Amino acid sequence: MSSGELGQIVVNAVLLSGILALVALGFSLVWGIMNIVNLAHGAFIVLGAYVTFFLHELLHIDPFLSIPVSMLVLFTLGWILQRGLVNQVIRAPLLATFLLTFGLELLIVNLINFFFKADLRSVTTGYSGAGLTLGPARIPYARLGALAVSMVLVAALAWFLKSTRTGRAIRATGMDIDAARLTGVKVAAVYASTFAIGAAMAGAAGSLLSMIVPFDPNLGGTYTQRAFAICVLGGLGNVANVVLGAAVYAFVDVFVGASWPSLSRAVTFAILVILLIFRPQGIAGKPA
Amino acid sequence: MKRTAAVSALALLTAFGAFSAPAADTIVFGAAVSLTGKTAKEGEYTRDGYNFLVDKLNETGGITVGGKKYKVSVKYYDDESKSERTAQLIEKLINEDKVSFILGPYGSAPSGTAAPICEKYRIPMIEANGSAESIFSKGYRYTFAVLSPAKLYLKGVVDLVLSKDKNVRTVAVLGENEPFSKEVASGGADYAREKGLQVVYQELYPSGTQDVSALLTNIKAKNPDVILGAGHLQDSLLIVKQARDLGVSPKAMGFSVGPSSPEFRDNLKGSADYILGATQWTEALKYNGDDPWKTPKAYAEAFRAKNPKYRDIPYQVAESSAAALAFWRAIEKANSLDPVKVRDAIASLDMMTFYGQVKFDSRGINVYKPMAVEQLQPDGRKYTVFPPSVAEKDAIYPMVPWDKRK
Repeated sequence: MSSGELGQIVVNAVLLSGILALVALGFSLVWGIMNIVNLAHGAFIVLGAYVTFFLHELLHIDPFLSIPVSMLVLFTLGWILQRGLVNQVIRAPLLATFLLTFGLELLIVNLINFFFKADLRSVTTGYSGAGLTLGPARIPYARLGALAVSMVLVAALAWFLKSTRTGRAIRATGMDIDAARLTGVKVAAVYASTFAIGAAMAGAAGSLLSMIVPFDPNLGGTYTQRAFAICVLGGLGNVANVVLGAAVYAFVDVFVGASWPSLSRAVTFAILVILLIFRPQGIAGKPA
Repeated sequence: MKRTAAVSALALLTAFGAFSAPAADTIVFGAAVSLTGKTAKEGEYTRDGYNFLVDKLNETGGITVGGKKYKVSVKYYDDESKSERTAQLIEKLINEDKVSFILGPYGSAPSGTAAPICEKYRIPMIEANGSAESIFSKGYRYTFAVLSPAKLYLKGVVDLVLSKDKNVRTVAVLGENEPFSKEVASGGADYAREKGLQVVYQELYPSGTQDVSALLTNIKAKNPDVILGAGHLQDSLLIVKQARDLGVSPKAMGFSVGPSSPEFRDNLKGSADYILGATQWTEALKYNGDDPWKTPKAYAEAFRAKNPKYRDIPYQVAESSAAALAFWRAIEKANSLDPVKVRDAIASLDMMTFYGQVKFDSRGINVYKPMAVEQLQPDGRKYTVFPPSVAEKDAIYPMVPWDKRK
C-alpha cells in the first residue's frame, strides 16, 4: 500500500465516520434514554432522503438547505408516532418494542414503495463529483459538507443535552425515570421529544446520504444495522461514545475493505462479537 | 338440525370454491418475482415483460392444445428479493395453486433456489433472469433459461475496447459477491487474460454494499486502462459516483448490469456519459423472429404503447417476454398440458424471436444468443455500439477524464 493510497483510505474513513456518527446519533439517544431499540430508524433515514430528493427535484432546493426541512418533517412524525404508538409499549418487555418498531419499519418502507415506487434515486447537484485535491488524496465537496453538517449536529445535540433544561430532563429520565418524575419532569413529554429528536437526526442523516449513495425504499435496513453496531461498539450513554463507535466502525470497515473487500462485513461484525465478549458495555461505555 | 346447517354450509362453500377456481379453459402460470426489496425494480421489469406477452397471447386467442384455445393468466407472488422466500413460494404455487408451469423469478440466486423445487415436482420452469452457470451445472432437467450465460456478459465490452485500441494493457475487475456477479466477474477477467490483457485487480465486495471507495482507492493506485464492474444497478451507480469522487479515470468503464436501465442516467446525469453496458438485448438489434412482433423495434414500440412509463426498454423486459413466449411455443408443440411432455418440448425448442435465437443446450441454458454492448453518449441517449454488425453508432473512446468535464 503506497502512502498516497493510505492517505486516501484515511480520508475515506474520516468522511465515513462523520456520516455514520449522524446515522447512529438518534438511534443511540432513543435506545439510551427510552430503552427502545428503534428498528424503524433506517426507515426514518430513508424518509429524510426522500424529503431532500423531492425538494431538489421539484423546487431545485440545494440538498444542504433542505436538511432543516427534513429534520422538521421527521421531528413531527417522530413526535406523533411516539405519542400515538410507541408510548403504548414504553414499559412493555423488550420484545414488544422490537415487534412494534419492526412493524413500523415494514409499514413505512412499504408505503414509500407504494407511493414512490422502487426506483433508485440520487440527488445529483452541480458540485456532485467535484472535490478538493489534497496531495494524492481527493475529498469530494459533498462528502466534506456532510462531515461538517454531522459534526455540527453532533455538537449541537451534545450541547442541548448538557446545557438546556429539556436536555437535562431527557438525561435525568434516562438515568432514573422514577426519580425524574418525582422532581417534576413530565416523562411523557420528555419521551416524545427524545423520540422526535432521534427521528430528526435520522432525517438529517437521510438528507446527507441522498447525495452520497443511490437510494431506494429499502436503503434503511443496512443503516439500522450499522447504527446498532456503532452503539454496541461505542457504548450507550453519551454523544461522544457514538462518535467513537462510528469512528471505530468506519476505520475497520474501510481498512478491511481496502485489503479484503469480500470479507469487510464479516470482519467488522466479528470484531463486534469479540468486543461484546470482552467489553459488553462497549469501548467507552460504563459497566452496567 | 345443527348438522344439516353445517352440511349445507359446507355444500355452499364447495359451490363457491368451484366458482372461484379459475375457469377450466385458462392455463395459469406461476411466478414469484421480487416486487419489493433490493431487486424490486428488476422484478417489476420481469413482471411487465411476462404480462406484456401474456396479454398479447390472449389477444390472439390463446394457446392451442388439442384443437382447443386456452387463455393464460399468471399468478404472482412477491419474493421480497429473498431467495429462500422464492423457494417457499414456488412450492406454494405448485402445491396450493396447482400451477403446472413456472415463469422464473428475477436473479440468479432465486432462480437457483427455485430450480430444485421444480425438479422435485417435475414442473418445468423457463426463467429469463438467472444466468449463473451454477444453476445449470447441477443436472436439473426442468429449468431452462432464455438468456446468455453470466460468464459471457463482459466479453463484448472487452472485444469492443480491443477493437478501438490496440494499446490497452490492463484491466481491473470488481464484482458483487453473489453467484451471478461472481461468474460475470471471473468470466470477464478470464476473457481479458485470454486476449492478452493483464488483470491488475480482481476483487469481490459484499452484496448490498454502500461504499466501494476502498476498492476504488486500490484500483486508482494500479491505474488500469479499463474498469469492469459486475454487480447490479445500485452497485454500478455507486461505482461510477465514487470513481468520479475519487478521480479514478480509466479509458473505458463497462458494467454487466445497470447502464441499460433508464435510471442509470437519471441518477448519474452527466457522469453516465461514455459508460459501456453489457446487454442481453436492445431494440436496435436486427433480428427477424417468428412471433407476433418479429423485430426488436416492433416489440419495443408495441411495449411502449402499452406501458407509457417506459422510455427505454430494459432487456429484462424483453427476455421475460421471451421466456413466456417459449412456454407458449412449447405447449403448442407438445400439444399437451402435461408438465413432463411440455418439458420435453422446451428441451427441443429452436426458434428465432424478436429477442434472438431461443434454444437450450443440454444443461438448459441458451448459449446460442450473443451479448451486445450499449454506450451512454453525451447527447443524452444510449446507443447499441457492439457488435459492429448491429451497431447504431460508433462507440466513443476513450472516455473523457472526470477532471476535463463540466
